[in-house]
Amino acid sequence: MIDAYLDDLGRELGAVGIRGRLRRRILAEAEDHLRSGPEALERFGSAQLVANRFAAELGARASRRAAVGAFAALAFAGAVYAVAFVGASFAGVPDPDTFPVAAVLAFAAIVLAPQVAFVAGALALVRTLRRREQELPSAELRVINRRTGVALASGLVTMGALALFANELRSELAGWWVASTLTGAAVASVLLVLASVPAGRAAVLRPQVAGAAGDLFDDLGLPRIDPWRFAGLVALGVGLLVWIAGAIQGDPLDAAVRAAAEALACLSGFAVLGRYLGLRG
Amino acid sequence: MKGHVDLLLLAALRREPLHGYAIVEHVREASHGALGLAEGTVYPALHRLERTGLLASSWLTANGRRRRVYELTARGRAKLASEQSDWKTFSRAVEAVLA
Repeated sequence: MIDAYLDDLGRELGAVGIRGRLRRRILAEAEDHLRSGPEALERFGSAQLVANRFAAELGARASRRAAVGAFAALAFAGAVYAVAFVGASFAGVPDPDTFPVAAVLAFAAIVLAPQVAFVAGALALVRTLRRREQELPSAELRVINRRTGVALASGLVTMGALALFANELRSELAGWWVASTLTGAAVASVLLVLASVPAGRAAVLRPQVAGAAGDLFDDLGLPRIDPWRFAGLVALGVGLLVWIAGAIQGDPLDAAVRAAAEALACLSGFAVLGRYLGLRG
Repeated sequence: MKGHVDLLLLAALRREPLHGYAIVEHVREASHGALGLAEGTVYPALHRLERTGLLASSWLTANGRRRRVYELTARGRAKLASEQSDWKTFSRAVEAVLA
């Protein structure tokens, strides 16, 4: 009976994502417990219940740590990005019409990916700061893990695109900018990959804890309106900011085109990732 | 009961290091059978208390069997004292209302 129970428990632990040394320790402790008294097996609880309790205890903590670690790595990547962006003004960036195709694609990724990384990473952090319970519903963990994963992936795309851009235009850009950008992107990429290890560990834990995940309005503490209306307002606000910044620089028409593109990108991001990242129900 | 498991586990380890089964037995006997912990779910809580530094644990071999023994850390003792004080305040307040 005890051996059969331990086999069950081992399977259930694997099913909720607990493997390796921790699984061996849990099984060893369970075996000792079950062999300690005649009624121990009856009172121990089902293998599924015990495995799920372990996963529930570990899941919230693992997701929280992964989100914080990802945000820290993204903060460094953000600093690399900002230095590269400011430094580019002094590095002699050629006319975009002369960019090779790879540089054009890299430039598009440099503009879009960091916005996705920032929004997803910040929202993962906000969710973990808002939900500080020992256990979280499975749906909440899924949202946090997805946000963390998307943030890290977008951060890596940004750093890769930045490195590609610097490499493609290395003969035309100042050597110091190319060198510092390639070095910064490489270091940031290493940090992002390191941060993806705990994120991967958190994602394999699959406790079954009842409860719904909140949405963007819960995260931001805003009154609930139609999510698409909210996305439209955000896109409008972002577009306005881009237009004002461009108009101040003296080219309102070009600024309007960029503002429209930025607003459209916001809405597209919401359409593509909104449900996946728990921004809308 | 669920909200008080941590306090019960810390209190059970106040006098000496114990393994999981002995902790459950201690709580049952000390409460004259009134508090029966769900035995399998004690271990996730013990692991969490260890991760947060309130408990330490190590393997011992007794009668040819390996068992994990838990003990309070200094932080665990401080936490227990604070939780006990909170609990006494709470129970005195409830008793005063019920009296």
